[in-house]
Formats: sequence, C-alpha cells, structure tokens
Amino acid sequence: MGTKVKKGEKGAVTNYITRAQAVKKLQISLAHFRRLCILKGVYPREPRNKKKVGKGSTAPRTYYYRKDIQFLLHEPVLHKLREQKIFARKLSKAIAKQEWTQAKTLEANRPEYTLDHIIKERYPTFVDALRDMDDALSMIFLFATLPATDKIKSEHVRTCQRLCAEFQHYIMISRSLRKVFLSIKGIYYQAEIKGQNITWIVPFQFSQHVPTDVDFRVMSTFLELYETLIGFVNFKLYSELNIVYPPKIDEERDSGAAGLTAYILESSVEKDTLKALVAQADGDSAVVKAGKGQRKKTRQRMASLGEKLAEMEEDEEAHDVDAAEDEMDTDIPQPIVAATTEEEVVPTLDAWKAKESELTGLQNLFKGCVFWMSREVPRYALEFVIRAFGGEVGWDASSGAGSPYAEDDTRITHQIVDRPQPATITPSSDAAASTSASTAPAVAPKRYDRREYLQPQWVFDCVNAKKIVRTAGYHPGETLPPHLSPFVSAGEHDYVPDGAMDVSGDEEDALESSEVPADAMEVDEDEGELVADSDDEEEEDEDEEDAAAEDDDEDEEALHQAELAAEAAGLSFSAYLQQQASNNAAGKGNKKAAAKPAAKKQTAAEAEAAERKELAIMMMSKKDKHLYNKIQFGKQRKEDAAAKLREKKETLRKQQPAPVATPASKKRGPPASGKKQPAAKKGKSA
Amino acid sequence: MKGSRSQQKRKAAALAEQEDSVVSPLETAMTALAGAGADSDAAVHSSDQAPDAGDSGDSDGGDESAEDEEDEEEEEEGDELNDESGDEDDDSELDEIDPDEWPSSSEDSEADSESDETAAARDPTVKVLRRKVPYPEIDPVYDADDSDEETTNTIGNVPKEWYEDFPHVGYSIDGKPIMKGTEGKKDQLDEFLSLQDDPNAWRSVYDDVEDKDIVLTKEELEMVKRIQKGEFPDATSNPYEDQVEWFSSQTLATPLSAAPEPKRRFVPSKWEAQRIMHIVRAIRSGRVVPGAKKPKTTDLHNQNFFDIWGDAIEPVDRGIMHIAAPKQALPHHDESYNPPEEYVPTEAEAAEWKALDAADRPKNYLPRKHENLRSVPGYDRFIQERFDRCLDLYLCPRVIKKKMNIDPESLIPKLPNPRDLLPFPTQLAITFKGHKGRIRSFSIDPTGQYMASGSDDRTVRLWDLLSGRCVNVWTFDEGVASVVWNPSKSLSLLAIVVGPKVNLVSVPGVAGPEITAATEALINHIATLQSSPTTAALCQWMRTGPAAAPVEAASDAEAPPPPTRFSAGARLVLTFDKAVTYLTWHRKGDYLSTVSPDANTRAVLIHQLTKRVTQNPFKTAKGLVQRVTFHPTKPFFFVATQRYVRVYNLASQKLATKLQPSTKWISSLAVHPQGDNVIVGTYDKRLAWFDMDLSSKPYKTLRYHKQAIRNVSFHPRYPLFASASDDGNVNVFHGMVYSDLLMNPLIVPVKTLRAHQTVDGLGVLHCEFHPTQPWIISSGADGTLKLFS
Repeated sequence: MGTKVKKGEKGAVTNYITRAQAVKKLQISLAHFRRLCILKGVYPREPRNKKKVGKGSTAPRTYYYRKDIQFLLHEPVLHKLREQKIFARKLSKAIAKQEWTQAKTLEANRPEYTLDHIIKERYPTFVDALRDMDDALSMIFLFATLPATDKIKSEHVRTCQRLCAEFQHYIMISRSLRKVFLSIKGIYYQAEIKGQNITWIVPFQFSQHVPTDVDFRVMSTFLELYETLIGFVNFKLYSELNIVYPPKIDEERDSGAAGLTAYILESSVEKDTLKALVAQADGDSAVVKAGKGQRKKTRQRMASLGEKLAEMEEDEEAHDVDAAEDEMDTDIPQPIVAATTEEEVVPTLDAWKAKESELTGLQNLFKGCVFWMSREVPRYALEFVIRAFGGEVGWDASSGAGSPYAEDDTRITHQIVDRPQPATITPSSDAAASTSASTAPAVAPKRYDRREYLQPQWVFDCVNAKKIVRTAGYHPGETLPPHLSPFVSAGEHDYVPDGAMDVSGDEEDALESSEVPADAMEVDEDEGELVADSDDEEEEDEDEEDAAAEDDDEDEEALHQAELAAEAAGLSFSAYLQQQASNNAAGKGNKKAAAKPAAKKQTAAEAEAAERKELAIMMMSKKDKHLYNKIQFGKQRKEDAAAKLREKKETLRKQQPAPVATPASKKRGPPASGKKQPAAKKGKSA
Repeated sequence: MKGSRSQQKRKAAALAEQEDSVVSPLETAMTALAGAGADSDAAVHSSDQAPDAGDSGDSDGGDESAEDEEDEEEEEEGDELNDESGDEDDDSELDEIDPDEWPSSSEDSEADSESDETAAARDPTVKVLRRKVPYPEIDPVYDADDSDEETTNTIGNVPKEWYEDFPHVGYSIDGKPIMKGTEGKKDQLDEFLSLQDDPNAWRSVYDDVEDKDIVLTKEELEMVKRIQKGEFPDATSNPYEDQVEWFSSQTLATPLSAAPEPKRRFVPSKWEAQRIMHIVRAIRSGRVVPGAKKPKTTDLHNQNFFDIWGDAIEPVDRGIMHIAAPKQALPHHDESYNPPEEYVPTEAEAAEWKALDAADRPKNYLPRKHENLRSVPGYDRFIQERFDRCLDLYLCPRVIKKKMNIDPESLIPKLPNPRDLLPFPTQLAITFKGHKGRIRSFSIDPTGQYMASGSDDRTVRLWDLLSGRCVNVWTFDEGVASVVWNPSKSLSLLAIVVGPKVNLVSVPGVAGPEITAATEALINHIATLQSSPTTAALCQWMRTGPAAAPVEAASDAEAPPPPTRFSAGARLVLTFDKAVTYLTWHRKGDYLSTVSPDANTRAVLIHQLTKRVTQNPFKTAKGLVQRVTFHPTKPFFFVATQRYVRVYNLASQKLATKLQPSTKWISSLAVHPQGDNVIVGTYDKRLAWFDMDLSSKPYKTLRYHKQAIRNVSFHPRYPLFASASDDGNVNVFHGMVYSDLLMNPLIVPVKTLRAHQTVDGLGVLHCEFHPTQPWIISSGADGTLKLFS
C-alpha cells in the first residue's frame, strides 16, 4: 500500500515557482532579482499546463523553473547584491548625518562583483560564447555610438568603443567577414568564426534618438554582461592569433578620429617567428601614451615592425593560399583515396576544394584594389569592409586622421564617392582660389582618369556577390540597382526579386573591361525568355500534336501488348494508365519539344487528380483536416504575398517603360539571340 | 504647590545653565582669542563670567555684584533697543526695579506660563522686562473664529437657495421667521439708482444671509484695502519684530544644569582605541594601504581578461529544460535601404500599416527606397528595438514549440482510384422538367422503366425514364409528400401520400395487362373485406375511383386527361387523423408503414393490404419519428426518431438495438440491401455509417456536405450509396460490404454530382438509385429531376 500523494507535492507543480515566490525565496528586491536573472541568464518558462502548476488558478503569472532559482541561491553575485544594498543604506545614512569621512571610506570600499565565473558558467566552451555573440555585439556597437549622459556612463561608452574596435580588428586580420547588408535600420554584418555565423547590426553614424520609455538600468545590466563576454572573447581571439591583448591605443591618432587605425597590434611572440600582424601596414611613426623615452622606443619599433610586417603579411598570404592548395593537392587526397576506393569520395573532395578556393577568393576579394573614400562616405563602415576583404583604403583628412596615403596617390584604383553629380574633369586651381573659403568645398574636386568612381553600395554588393561586380550602374549620379539582403534563402514558393540570383558571366575581367561602356552585358535573361516563350508556344504546340497523331497509329498494337503485360503484372487499370501517361511523357521528352503538350494533357489529368484529392479530403479525420487546413492556410498566405509582389512588379514595369528604356533597349539589342537562348535552354533541359 | 513646582523648575533651569557655563570656558576663551581687538567688550564680559561660573554652583541667588554689573550692561543694551523700537517706551522705567525682588514676585505671578518663565530664566534681559509688565486681561483671541459674530439668522451654513421660494430668509434665535427685506436682492436698475442716491452705496455689501446691505466701517475699509495690497489685515501686526535670542553663545550666570562633568569627558575612549587598533593591525598586516586607491574591479581597463576557456573543456549540461534564446530574424530584402521597387509599399499599404496597432504590425518598419546611401536617415527606433530584445531575453517566457514539419499531402488518406471502382454515375444524362414546385419525392417502378414524382405543386407526374417524357399528370388538392411504388413486381401499385390521405393507385400500362389486372383484383378484394374495429379506429380504408373516373380531385383543377393506358385505375384511400409525411413498403409489397409524426402514439402504423388490417405497433411515442424502414431480409423494423434509430424485432416484438449517431436531428435513413449496415443522414450535415454487427455507435461519421443532408440511399445491386444535401450536391460513394465479418466495410467517395440549384435554402430533396442500372436520380427544390448515368 503506497502512501497517499497529496496534491501539489509531485509533478509539474514542484517544477515551477512563481516570480513572487522566487523573490521571497532569494530575499532580494525585485530589481535585484531581475538583475540577477539577466546576468545569470535565467528566464521565465511557460508551463505546459498552467492550471496544474497554478494549483487550479489560470491567472497570468510568471513562472520560473524551480531549479533555476535554486541555482541562483548559491550565486556569489547574489551575496554581493545584498552587500550592495547594505552599502547603499550605510552610505545614505552617512550622508544624511553629514559624516563625510565615513561616507568616503564606505565609498572606497563599495562592494563590487565580477562576472568572470558567470561567463564561464553560461558559456562552458568558446564556441558557446561565439554562438551567443549576436546580441552582445549589437548592443556594444550601439553603446559605442551613444553620447554619455547621466544614464549612460562615459566609461561604458569608451569601453564599448574599444571593444568594438578590437573585435573589428580581429575580423579584419582573420578575414572572417562574410556578408554585409545596408538596411534602413543600420548596417548588418555577418562574420564566420569557428564555423559560427555571427550577425550584428551597427547603427548609421548619426546621433541616436534616445527614447524616454527605455529603462537604461536594464540595458546597462545587459551591457555589463556583454562587455565582460566580449572582453574574454576578444582575448581568446587575439591570443589565438598571437597578438597582445589589449592592444595599445595611439593617443594622438585616437584624438584625431583615426578610428580603427589608432590601435596598435603587437605580436606576442618574438619577431623572428614570422607571426606578427599590424593593422597599419605602412608603418607610420606611432606615438604611444607613455613617457617620452618610451615613445621614442615605440616609434622605432613600430617603424621597423611595420616594414617587416608589410612584407610578412604579403608573404604569408601568398604562402597561405599556396599552402592551402598544396594541402589539397598533396596531403589529403591520398589517404582518403587509399582508404575508400568508391566513387563518392572524389566529388565530395572536389566540392570541398571548390568551397575552400571560393572562400579564399572571397577573403581576398579586394586584394590589389586601392580605395579612396571621399569625405561624404561613411568611413568606418567602408574602411572595415574593404580591409576585411584585403583591400587598401585611404580617406580624406577631414573625415579623420590616419589615412595611409593621399588622394593623389597613383596606386588608387577605386574612388568611393556619394555625390549627386560626377565631378568635372578639369578643375582650375584659379577658380578655386577666386571663390571664397566657404564655397571652396563646393568646387568640384579633381577627377583622376585612371580611377573608377563608384558609389558605396558597389563595395557591399561585391561582398555579397562574392566577386567584383560590374561597375555599370554604380557610378556617381546613376540610378543604383536594388540592394538585396544576402541573408534571404528563398523557399519554394517565395518571391525572388530580380538580381537575387547571381549574375552569370566571367567577372574576372570586369575590372579591366569597365572602361568599355558596360552596356549589352547585363542581359535580363528572364525577360528575354518570357517574350520568346509567348511567341513560340503555339507553333510548338501544333507541331507536337501532329507528331502525336502520327505516332498514335503505330503505337496501337504496342499499347494492347502493354495492357496485357500490365494485367499480368497485377496492376490496376488506373495505375496502368498513369504509368502509360508518364511513359509517354518521358518518351516524347526525347523528341524536340515535348513539354507543352504533356502539360496540356496534364491539365485534364490534373483536373481529375484535383477531384480525387477533393474526394480524399472528404475522408480525412477531423483532426487531420484541421491540421491540413492550417498548413494550407499558411502556404496560401505566403503564396499570396509572393503573388502580390509579382503583380506589383508587373504593374510597375508597365507603368514606367521610359526609365527602363535605356537599359532595356540595350538588352533587346540582339533580338535574335534573345529568341534563340530559351530554345537552346530547353534543349539542354530536355 | 504650584509655586514650589515652579521653583523646582527654575532650579533645574539654573543647573542647566551652569552646565552650559561649564562647557563654555574653552569656547569663550577661543572667542576671546579670536576677536580680541574687535570685540573687547564681549571679551571682558566673558572673562568676567568665567570665574563666576566656577563658584556659582551652589546658590540660586548668585553674586550680587556680578548681577549688578550685568544689569548695568543690559541697561545699556536695553536703551539701544528702545531707540530702535519706540513701542516699548514704558519698558524702560520698569528696568529700574531692583532685580533682588524678582524671585518673590515671580512666585506671585502664577498666571504666567511656565514656558515664559523658563525662557525668562535663560535670558536675564527678558527676565527683567517680563517681570515688570502688569499682566493684562486674558484675551482668549477668538477673533479668528467668527462663529460668535452677531447673527440674527440662525439657519447656519446652508445653501440660500433653499429659502428662495419662501417669504422668509431664515429664523431668528427665537425661532421666528425672518421675513425677506423689502430692499432684498436688487436688480441692476435698482442698484444703479441706489448708487446714485445713497451716499453709502459704494461702501455697502449685500449680505445674503441677513438679506440686507451692510455698510462697511472705515476700519473695515482699511482692512479691505490692506488685503487687496497683500498686506496683513491687522494694521498693528508687525511681521518684522526683533528676534529674541533665547539661546545664545553667551554663558549664563545661572546655568541650567549643575551636574558635574562626567568622567568620559576626561578619559580616552576605549572603543575608539579598539577601532584604531583594528585599523593599525590592518595596516601592519598589509590589508590596508593608507592613501592607496583601491582599483575598481568593474573598470574594464583594469580588468584582467584571461583565457577563460583555456582549461580542458568540461561539457556542462544545462539540463533538458534549458531553452536557448532564439536568434533574431535576419533582415529581408524589404529592409534594404534600396530595395527592389515592388517592395516599397503603396500609399494605401503604408496607411494600412500605420493604422494598425504597433503590436499587430507584421513588421516593425515600413520599407523605404533611398536614391543613394547619403540620403539614408538615422533609424529612430534603434535603441527601442535593442531594448525590446533585452526585454525578450529576460522577461519573455520560453517554451519549446514543436513545428510540424510534415508534408500536408501525407495527411490525405490514400484511397483506391475511383476509376477502379466503376461503374457509378458520373455525368448528367437526362433532366426532367415539368414540375413547378419542389419535388419532395419520387419513385422508380420495380421494372425500372417508369418514374412517378410528387411535388409541392399538387401534382404527381409519371415519367418515361429512358426518354424523359412526361406520360401522365395527376393533380391533387394538396402538395404531395411522398410517392412510392410497391416493390412487388407482380403488382403495379403506386402509393401517393397527400396530406392525411394515402392513395394506393393502380397504374395500368406501366406493367403488363396481367399485372394490372392482378392489381385491380387486389384492390377490389380489399374493398370487399371488412375493417376490424381496431383498424377502423386507426384509419379508414375506402375504395374509390372506378376505372372510368380516375381522379375525383383532379376534375376541379383542370380538365381531366383522357383515359389512357397510363391513367390511374382503381384506387384505395387510407385516411388518417393527422398528416402523413412518409410511407414505406415492405420488400414483398404486402405490408406498408406510414409515419404521421403529429399523431403521438399513432405516429407509426403498419398496414397489411391483403387482410385490410392496420396495426399500431407502439403503445407509447418514443419521440418525433422521422423515418421508418423494414429490414430487407429479417423481420426487423427501423424507426428513426430525432436522435436515435431504434431497431425492433417484429417477430419477438422487442427492441433489438438502438443506434446512436450522436447528432442533433436525423433526417433520413437507408438500410443496406444485405441488412447489416445502415446509413443515417442528419440535418447537421453528417452522414453516419453503422455496422450493426460492430456497434451501436457509427463505424464512420463523415462530414463533407455544407448544408443539411436531405436523403440517403443505397443502390439495391451495386455497392453504391449516395447522399443528397441542401447545398445542391449529391455525393456518390462506393460502399463495399464484405461477406467476411472480419473485414470492415470499404467506403470510398467516388463522385460529387453538382446538379441542382439551391432555391430558398433548399437543394436536393430526394435521391434514389435506379433498381438495376448504376444510375442515380435526384429531385430538387428547383422543380427538376435529374438522372445521372
């Protein structure tokens, strides 16, 4: 005879605890409890059966998992929070009594906590930490742009700026940036570190609108955690690259708004080990914060280091690529081939190789490109992106110090401009002199012949396309092609806008061929196909029907034979018919153009299939029918949205033929080819 | 007693003063040093006082000479004061009174308040002044309270409008009404005139309590003026009176307390020493470094980051209950600063988006297209969105929701292809037009060549089934509820239900002459029989309509059709008390059953033709009877009431089973030709298939019609059944019943026939299979019959 189990002593009731109970159990204030939850990553749960957990009440309550709260019970930070509470009381008492010395002593011994153990606890492995970096980075990058107020401490802002710069440096050195996206909210970046995709958003460089209904205490608690997390992550990342952490800051440059270039990265290993990387490769003399003697030393060291590094970096990259190729060629295939003689291994290896080479290609996307940014261009974002893909970049002195070269440098291949009109080619210096100082900036700057003048979107589109995109359409003053999100993977029924698929064609020579008027190259293949289809369809159909009629007579006997065979095999008649239909389709597919009549026949068959389906749905159980309808509803909604977009696009195309005319006329330049192309394609597909 | 108490008080005060004076030497010395040159007088004064304090511990009176000196000084001060405030002129002469006298006089002045006394004791100046004032009459200061003002009206503080309708304004203290004065409340003209006439009008105020004008006095006017200026109403009050320093730094000759200096004033504190030693020890041990600033651990620049993930990886299991926070959704194309044109919302879409509540919006931004990067503005909700994310992370309850990742097509049951289940009716073959009302019922004759249909337009039409030709029309005086052929092939007898009458009509020409003759013979034979009393009580059998005159009712409406070979022959009429709604024949054609739901216990009657007998099988009514049916092979009888189908064994006269379709209202019932399966159609759109061997609950309930099911029917030969509904559809099913008892019936929908139009919410009213062919005929509310083959 078992003991009687009382209500509320077993099962889900014991697993959950309400917030009020939790606060009471921990004996802290609600504010402290929330803080603790944020730091420890404890979150409310939704019990499966609220009524059971609530002992019969279904009132809206916040439930926590009981073990989570027990886990908080032994938290050192909890004790620190209690100490802080006591401290606050003592301090306020001392101040009220005007016991200033006492207050001072108390203030000096303010209880503080560290979050190291929490980081280790929440992210037991480094990969765990990387997986959770999205929110942390977004938050840090936001606070780096905020002004220091009474709610946002200046030290937090400075720390955030520093952490951001450190992380960006790592991304640039390790070349782990993968995707970028200019959205209306800000700039999204996606990097891949240790196989983890880390996505974060950075606001545009404007002063932020600080809303009044935001509780900055919550934000700052999160910030506290994130600062520590990113500090540790940065340390780990830097130490893996053998770079000293934290990097030193060149005060002079920093005050000159040099941004990323103000950081001095030093190798933690001896120089001769060939493992040193520096953000600034050209080796300007950098002055460190320290005393004069030290400054001199650093300068010398930096000078020498910079030169060396510039060499080393190039060597290394070349070496890396070679090494990777070597590895692929020599080392790896042999054991695998030896181990498994089957065919499947070879394609996977090839795929891996291709993927690897693609990746190195992406990482060195802007290698050899030398950029110059005009002052109206968002410098920090572009500098980061260009350098993260191996490009060199310089900028106008007015947008910050630290540019490695001047505007008239002959190496510059691309100039990023974001101005309404392309500048005239010959600005006379006299004219500039004659105009007043205030209007001087308005004077068109000198235009260099051998440079490509481009809008900033080009850089981002190149990254997302994983290749150097043709420059047509990106020149200043031109209407830009739409900028699409690289994060969208189109599903079956989703709408895919034009240009979302990669533009085919060899892009290697696009750079060189860009001075050739880049018309006629971008053929809108879809459009061409559409036009061609409508013309060809009917002719093809007629041909097909004739052919089919001829075939029928011949096949009749064979048909009878087949029927007999099917009967012998025990196929039902309908199954046999279906089989026959599919056979027919396949057989005719070998002929010139079988797709269309097959499709026509299918419409009758489809109607029957639809009817069958409808009849079958009648026999579904209530539960299944409900589920089925729900799925269909969701699908339909998606399809509707896609159809709406398609329709909208069609109307837009009809509405404005004029602006499209210029590229369209070029596109339709060779009409014959446009017609041929789909035909050829069909042949291939068949 | 009181005197002695005051004395004690004074003593205590003196002691306190003395205590003060004990504390003061240092202070006084300090002040003396500080303001040596500037305030020499004060310095002298304090130095004088110091020895005073020393020896004045025991006596109340103190040193006389010292007192004198003080007095002199105070006199001077008092003079100075007097210069400033002329009001206290008379006080100066009081100064002359000898201070020696004051203790006794103070004893006399008991009326003075204690506080005054103590205050006087503290300050010698005041003490002296106070002593000389002759105490005035006590004024309890009731001025502020206007309750005792002379008022004649005693109504108190009540709204005056309560007395508006009365001739009086209130009551005097004697309880007599005070009549409204003639002057009363004046109108504007009166006011103006009085202003002109009365010299005092400008200074008079109307008092609505007294109901009279009050002329303000000069003083009152002054007061009003002062109030208007924002001054004190009382002219005599002085807000800037000189402050009296009751508590000063000056050491008093007579201290308030005479307690000796406590020891703790002279001994170093033990506890302080302990505290100091505590600190000293801390410094010695190095726990505290004096002057050193403690580094802040939270300051990131000083925080030592280290390789926290350096040690061996120990996989920490956060438990099965841990739910990682989901990542934020990645941006879509429409979030781009330069999206494709089609993503930019139109004005209507934007307006719709704005009209939505912020929480209901599918996306929290409105796509916008910017020409170039420089024209992109800052995003004003950036912080808000980060904050929302923070809130989601720590406040949002997390729950794992399993997403159904199944192919919806897999949910659809795999059914045999209808093509394999041929034959069944697939398409419309013939439409029978002619009826002008709803065709409630029709019946195909046992040979399958003719069909009779009865309609609400009070006619019964006979159709040639294959040609679709209307062969004959009979008209009745009421709508036809039911038309049923006798199933016996040896008879050509048609039962037509019209109101409370059931006409059993022989139709010559439908079958061969022998059969017609046999039918006529049967009717004639019945006519010769006598009804038993029980039968007569239930219904009336009557032979009418000789062969020459087919229908007596038809004659009045239209010209009777010429007697053809299809015209009705002999007729037998069964008349009931209440209207009959349904009629069914037994398989052999000798028995028939009628349903008249309104006739309580006589709702269901069974008639035997050959014996001219009517029986009432049920003593009690079990509910509203909808349909009845005979079992095709066994002596069972099905009675469908509103909720249940009861199956009676006629042989043993017992209830065999009770089928429960668990629906609200049964509309129709059909029994499988083999008899073990029953289908029930209901007005709540469901069709229930019962396997009687299996259970009294439905084997399968199907809900596919959009409206009420009107009729269900089995094919007598083929494994087919059908249901007709108000949505205008007839659904044909393949319903195979296996002879193997272990196999469940196979039900496959094979065809949905959409033929009839819905008229007034009614679609198909009746459907019936052809007795031999795989055809189905349906009749609708649109007045047509349709044959599907």
